[in-house]
Amino acid sequence: MYIKGVGMTKFGISGKFSQMLAYEATLEALNDADINFKDIDAVVCSSLEWFFSIEKQRHFAALLASVFKTHKPIIRVPAACAGGGAALWVAQQLGYDNVLVVGVEKLMTCKSESITDEFMMAAESKWEQVEGLNFPGQNALVAQQYLEKYKKTTTEHLALISFKNHSNALLNPKARFYGRKVTLEEIKNSPIICSPLRLYDCSISVDGAAACVVTNEKTDIKIIGSDLCAEYLPTWEREDSLRWEGTIISSKNAFNQAGVEPSDIDVAEIHDAFTIVELIAYEDLGFCKKGEAYKKIEEGYFNLDGKMPVNTSGGLKAKGHPVSATGLAQIYEIVKQLRGEAKDRQVSKAKIGLAHNIGGAGGTVTCHILKKICG
Amino acid sequence: MAKIIRWICEKCNKKWIYPISRCLYCNGEIKKQIGMKIKVIGFTRIHIPCPPHPIVPYNVLLLEDEYGNRMPKKTIKDYNIGDTYEDIPSKEENAIAITKIKYDVYEAVKEALELIGDIEVDRTNKILIKPNLSIPGYPYLGIGTHPEVMRGLLRYLIERGANPKNITIAEQSFFFPFDKAIAKSRINQIVKEFGVNLVDLSKTEFIEKKEREFVFRVSKIVYDFDLIFNVPVIKTDMLLGIDGAFENLTRFLSKENFNEFVRDIKKAIGALAVLPNILPRFITIGDGTIGMQGNGPAEHGEPGFYNMIFAARNPVVHDKIVQEVLCLRRLPYVELAGKLGIGEYEVSKIKVIGNELDAVRRDIKQPIGSKLIKKD
Repeated sequence: MYIKGVGMTKFGISGKFSQMLAYEATLEALNDADINFKDIDAVVCSSLEWFFSIEKQRHFAALLASVFKTHKPIIRVPAACAGGGAALWVAQQLGYDNVLVVGVEKLMTCKSESITDEFMMAAESKWEQVEGLNFPGQNALVAQQYLEKYKKTTTEHLALISFKNHSNALLNPKARFYGRKVTLEEIKNSPIICSPLRLYDCSISVDGAAACVVTNEKTDIKIIGSDLCAEYLPTWEREDSLRWEGTIISSKNAFNQAGVEPSDIDVAEIHDAFTIVELIAYEDLGFCKKGEAYKKIEEGYFNLDGKMPVNTSGGLKAKGHPVSATGLAQIYEIVKQLRGEAKDRQVSKAKIGLAHNIGGAGGTVTCHILKKICG
Repeated sequence: MAKIIRWICEKCNKKWIYPISRCLYCNGEIKKQIGMKIKVIGFTRIHIPCPPHPIVPYNVLLLEDEYGNRMPKKTIKDYNIGDTYEDIPSKEENAIAITKIKYDVYEAVKEALELIGDIEVDRTNKILIKPNLSIPGYPYLGIGTHPEVMRGLLRYLIERGANPKNITIAEQSFFFPFDKAIAKSRINQIVKEFGVNLVDLSKTEFIEKKEREFVFRVSKIVYDFDLIFNVPVIKTDMLLGIDGAFENLTRFLSKENFNEFVRDIKKAIGALAVLPNILPRFITIGDGTIGMQGNGPAEHGEPGFYNMIFAARNPVVHDKIVQEVLCLRRLPYVELAGKLGIGEYEVSKIKVIGNELDAVRRDIKQPIGSKLIKKD
């Protein structure tokens, strides 16, 4: 299928309710596609319907029917942080001509303790939640294991990933950290959240929505690879917690569908819920060998001026991470890059882009490869 | 004593962290694999609190057993990679075991009893089990002792040699028909399943026992057993603050005797504190599978997902630690019992095994209507 239009809200702290954020992203996507809602055959939405949210709102799909004034099918696809990517994957399986895909989250309505608890609900309840293994903790254990096994990789490399993403967000008007400079020293000296991860190793919770219109009609952006893979929820239950099979399998399938290699990718949005997750994804996506991501980090390979820029939007780290909207915000950025509309953060001659979206600590993974169609 | 459990297919060796009954791939039979040689292979120190884990920093260890099975474990203590992780059982009077339920209540009950030094049983032993079934309620409400805890305890005892015919479950309800409470709690099914006896204590003979200034009328059958298990559900209570080991003993008394005490709250505290002294020795197994928070069963309390089993040889130790785990304000009857030498109530002198106290403490909805708490 093809992408006809994309839209997203600014990510940050919003006074708007979820359905209004979804409306805002949808309006931009419809305008970008130069269509109106009459042309949409179905909607796939994603939202977690937070337990602690002040909105106290369930049945989000029907709520959107009120906003969109429609009786067309609307289905909700929650998949933790991979909700956006999963919704896009599902949209392509439905057989409709034009599908609106919209992801939204309204996180900033409660204290961070409650958000920590809410995120922890995506961990296994009796093996992980009761042991206090919250979301940063799950990923911190992976980081600790990685640094223990691959001694040449240090927290300095994690800091460089964070610094890269913050530097990119500085240039993205829709990012939470737009215009806010963060130095490498600040990152390295930020407080420990869950050892070895520091504050600036963690993505930032924000409100936001993102949308796209997928279509069978030929447009300038083609989805040439799309896959979704499930993985055991707890990382420690997997044979190797440092190889995220969800990423390996979904990207392998997407590359096969697309008929391209990792080296053909010009720009990528990689799920950086934590810096260690981005680092492991470099390896699992095939951009470097296992245990050798540090080399490419040191040479600036993934920087905006590097050979294959990653997270030009600022990533989850600095653009922000409104959970179910994240996967579609990645698509927004890749589409902007392929169209040459990314302004100050534009990657030159970008033709093929990859979006990699993860739910939980690798429990659901989607991989989408988009290609700019010329002429 | 620490364990890592897996359910493994005997045919194809696939492993699950859940107690499945048959393999989904080959329909093979499932056996439990329990690893007990456990090492620390990783850890993270967590600095951000959340309601179920309010005390920071704490550590989450990544443990691995001799089969390569792993699990996370919360602890306040510091460990190094390669350290052995183990719990040392204690038979001491001031010891209490706290175990967490990993989907298998039987294993949690068994581990809790092993941690307090295991229980020696033979076929001739007459065993009394006293659950809390005073109010009719479905198990998911946390109002009564959960049938899975009863099932776990019965299985433990029978595996150790107890004769089901010598096991009696006894309880009474002061406010509701006993049959209704037994049926709704599903304990009647357990009685049938294991072939054990069921006794309505209200229909037994009561004998007089004196302790200090109090006169108790106690069910005579209590003195006919070699081994007694007091199995309260851990729930908040408007009157007492908590229903634990002590409160559960009150239904060994006659209804009239009970009513005499509750008319005067000071008298109730005093009587409750010395009640264990007139009874034979017993072991308390606190059912924290679901439990209850808020104002308890009488005043719109709600289930609390505690996911724990407590086991102690002394009721003061039991109730004091439950109070601490649930961050409840002081329980005067426990303090009084402690001062009277019935058991240890100073936290620093209590040996908590299985899980550290600070690693399991959590805020629950308090019983704000407690008359005792209002007197603070």
